[in-house]
Amino acid sequence: MEERLYDLIFICRPDTPEADIDKLISTLEHSAAEKSAKLEKIEKWGRKRMAYRVHKLREGFYVYLAIRSSQGELIKELERRLKVADPVIKYMTIRIDEEMKRQQKLAKRRERRAARRPRKPAQTPGAGEQSASAAG
Amino acid sequence: MTDPNTPQQPPAATPDAPASTEIVTSGAPAEGARAPATGFQGGGRGPGRGPGGGGQGGRPGAGPHKRGKRNYVRKKKVCRFCVDRVDYIDYKKADALAPFIQERGKILPRRMTGTCARHQRWLTVAIKRAQNIALLPFAAEM
Repeated sequence: MEERLYDLIFICRPDTPEADIDKLISTLEHSAAEKSAKLEKIEKWGRKRMAYRVHKLREGFYVYLAIRSSQGELIKELERRLKVADPVIKYMTIRIDEEMKRQQKLAKRRERRAARRPRKPAQTPGAGEQSASAAG
Repeated sequence: MTDPNTPQQPPAATPDAPASTEIVTSGAPAEGARAPATGFQGGGRGPGRGPGGGGQGGRPGAGPHKRGKRNYVRKKKVCRFCVDRVDYIDYKKADALAPFIQERGKILPRRMTGTCARHQRWLTVAIKRAQNIALLPFAAEM
């Protein structure tokens, strides 16, 4: 099955000790490993002010994970875990592989165009000379 | 004599305005100055008014106004994302998305920001994602 890329962000209560957050991340990592998925990125953004109040809290501890998985079941499992976990107040999973694919495609096309553009003026005088010499 | 005088006065009504101001400045000899003034100037204006009035009221008056309107060209807004060659608008960078929402939290329309259709499409998605994870507000809090 094809691999898919997901972004998973969850927000913990700001007063949770960092050890608990680490533990939570490791359990997520564990369940991901069980499904032969990989956490490509684990970023702790730390305490941030939220744009609106969640559970009457104004701040939250943000954790960002990038997951590469071939099984959608894993997301279900991870979200279930996050829902059950006490310190977590909010989470969101987004599938981003299609957008990444699009980005790569556009970048490639741009590169190709950029490569073609400078060559053009260089080629045309060369071609002109050749034709001139051929005519002569 | 009175008959030709009276029809002359109404047409001289518009040039009367400067005459009246002159009178005001001169002050005391109001009536005495007015009668000869109208008589002399009226005769002088008769021929002069035709081309002068037409020139003032007609084309040149309207001309500059129209030209001014025509010359007013709105500065063309350029899509900021196209300028920067953006292929993916990241919802995680809330600071970068902030200029595209109103203070109350609404997404700014394309006509305000000059964003191109394609990038606006990506932008809305990014903003909505950021809203979901509390990086951007849905609406300003009281």
